[in-house]
Amino acid sequence: MKQFEFFEGRQLSRRQLLSGTAAVGSVFAAAALAGCGGNASAAAVRDIQFWHLLSGGDGIKMQAMISKANDGNPGFKVHPTVLAWGPPYYTKLAMASAGGRPPQLAIMHASRVPGYAPGGLIDPWDLDQLAAFGVTPQSFAPRIWDKSQNNGKIFSIALDSHPFVMFYNRDVAGKAGLLAGNGLLQEVNSPEDFLAMAREMQKVTKAHGLSFGYLGSGSQMWRLFYTLYKQHGADMELTPGKPMVADNEAAIESLEFMASLFDDTIAAQSGDISTGIAEFARGGSGMLFSGVWELPTMKKAGIPVDAATIPTLYGTPAAYADSHSFVLPRQLNVDDAKRRDVYKFVSDILKGSLSWAEAGHIPAYQPVVQSQAYRDLTPQIHYANAADIIAYDPEAWFSGSGSDWQTYFAETVQNVLLGRDKAADGWDAFVRRTNTLLSRPNPV
Amino acid sequence: MSSLATSHDSEGQAGSLPGLSRQKQFNQAGSRSRSQGSRDNLNGWAFAAPFLAFFLVFLVWPLLYGLYMSMTGKSLTGANDSVIGFANYAEALADADMWHSLGNTLYFTVISTIPLVIVALVMAALVNVGLPAQWLWRLSYFAPYLLASTVVSLFFTWMYNPQLGLINDTLVKIGLPKVAWLNDPGVAMWAIVIATLWWTVGFNFLLYLAAMQNIPAQHYEAASLDGAGAWRQFFSITLPQLAPTTVMIVLLQILASLKIFDQVYQMTAGGPGGATRPVVQYIFETGFTGYRLGYSAAISYIFFGLIVAVSVIQFFITRRRSA
Repeated sequence: MKQFEFFEGRQLSRRQLLSGTAAVGSVFAAAALAGCGGNASAAAVRDIQFWHLLSGGDGIKMQAMISKANDGNPGFKVHPTVLAWGPPYYTKLAMASAGGRPPQLAIMHASRVPGYAPGGLIDPWDLDQLAAFGVTPQSFAPRIWDKSQNNGKIFSIALDSHPFVMFYNRDVAGKAGLLAGNGLLQEVNSPEDFLAMAREMQKVTKAHGLSFGYLGSGSQMWRLFYTLYKQHGADMELTPGKPMVADNEAAIESLEFMASLFDDTIAAQSGDISTGIAEFARGGSGMLFSGVWELPTMKKAGIPVDAATIPTLYGTPAAYADSHSFVLPRQLNVDDAKRRDVYKFVSDILKGSLSWAEAGHIPAYQPVVQSQAYRDLTPQIHYANAADIIAYDPEAWFSGSGSDWQTYFAETVQNVLLGRDKAADGWDAFVRRTNTLLSRPNPV
Repeated sequence: MSSLATSHDSEGQAGSLPGLSRQKQFNQAGSRSRSQGSRDNLNGWAFAAPFLAFFLVFLVWPLLYGLYMSMTGKSLTGANDSVIGFANYAEALADADMWHSLGNTLYFTVISTIPLVIVALVMAALVNVGLPAQWLWRLSYFAPYLLASTVVSLFFTWMYNPQLGLINDTLVKIGLPKVAWLNDPGVAMWAIVIATLWWTVGFNFLLYLAAMQNIPAQHYEAASLDGAGAWRQFFSITLPQLAPTTVMIVLLQILASLKIFDQVYQMTAGGPGGATRPVVQYIFETGFTGYRLGYSAAISYIFFGLIVAVSVIQFFITRRRSA
């Protein structure tokens, strides 16, 4: 059994072990000395981990805002981690919080907070500490502030609201004779008038009147649907253990109107998000239904772009929207100094959110919205009224931006929009699917 | 390791291997004391220990913990982890979405395994007949297998794009109508099968090619002397000689196809209308985005049972063949 001699050569091993230990020990000692003497000022800088899901132009803007805040606060340094939008982000955030290793600060869609707050994955904000940095409930529009609350506590601080809006091409609208005296698109207030307007634009572009990419995207379908549904003045309630409460008539009418858009004249029947955006950006249509975050893309494309809220077709002004909001993932041990830094950082970002408005979003922080600089931003100011009419997703642990619920909406409704199913059948299927979710145990 | 080899040689006897029975070691060594035998055993365990530790920590423990979890109402948020017995299983068996996604997985397995085996066989046969530049064929058939699923998915998503995609563009040019590849519930699964075929057929191709090249040339020579043509040789020599390889490829392919997730998640996210959502995605959704870990674990175990059943069938088929 000599082949195992190397296990038994204890003399050598022991010596190696001893010398190895000594070497490791000296490295530690050196490191400790360096920590004590050499780098005292660096050691005082507190590192704040910050997770968000903003990519593309939004990500670049956010990075600039973070750098500015870091430069202005030598006591801390915020390190952002960017994760992919949707389920990847929310899954990782939930797992990090549940596992006790979350970042000190994160961004969530306000509509997703009801899935996190009751489960104890996030901590409430302390209003007094926030007020110390000049941020109070009065700093926010009432709708947005109301959305920050869950069970009477403030769980999220909104950075913005980002509604679903209508971009339009001024040249196309002008040639179609659809611009009003003030240079803005004429107002329409019925489904028929809207369809007629789109057809006029199609005559100019020779391609389509409207771009709206929806195939394979539950979020896109839901954004337009919920805008139209809320324009009926209808409500939707999701209470675990009870069937969904909704206005079926309004829902079906909204779906039928959406389906009527995709006749390959008004809008392309087979368009996904990227083709819809590309079509509008190259002047292939007169209008685009999309989120405000698409504004930088359109400006970069060099088309004469303007924007407005989606026309009120059913009587009640409404716009689907969500808010990028700051949340405090629950820490096992709260580091008070870092918490204070987080409050300072958030207040700095809010106060500097004019540059966030340049990315298309409507700032939540009212002093910025009321500033002259914001009023000078066009076309942002043309849809700033959306902040007063925004509608967040109905609250439930499974609803909200990037949720599976929106995917289920696509599953049941896409065939309606493709003209293969009746609107009523698609809607019924969605209601059944939602009721199944509501009937199951609530995991938060 | 060199000292190990030297000592082995100097002893001038066959080294005892951990896997050999004590009786065999005894016979090989001629005579050995009982204590040396047990030390052999100990050394054997010492060699196997790293693997065993890995096996226990990363396979057996998660397996048992998952089974326990499937009996609880455990949530990702940490709430409600009381034991609830078989309630999750009962709920899963009555869950239409679970059955639908399981059906999708089985459907994909059937419609992907057949072409993945037949096309691989045809490709291997074509290369094996001795085309010039063999390395080029081998490379081009196998190269896609080396790509990451994200790359393949992105690539095919663009090819399938209803308006800007290469495939529809080609269809229009030759006078055929456009197809909504990833958006038509009747077509989407096939579109994923095509992408999967392109991506992974190279592996089966290599297995077939290796097997074909192991068939003795004398068989073909004798057959030619007896006047057998190329087709006759293929069906009477090549195919029968490949039978064990075919059984292996089919079963490996079934197991691989049952695990379908990546390309579906990236190309259709399970749509349109849930028509391509495989059961692995449903497990992911219920557990990680729906927070219900216990329920998700129960579905995993139902699926696990299915895979075990396939493996048992594989075991019996291969045993019958080798008997």
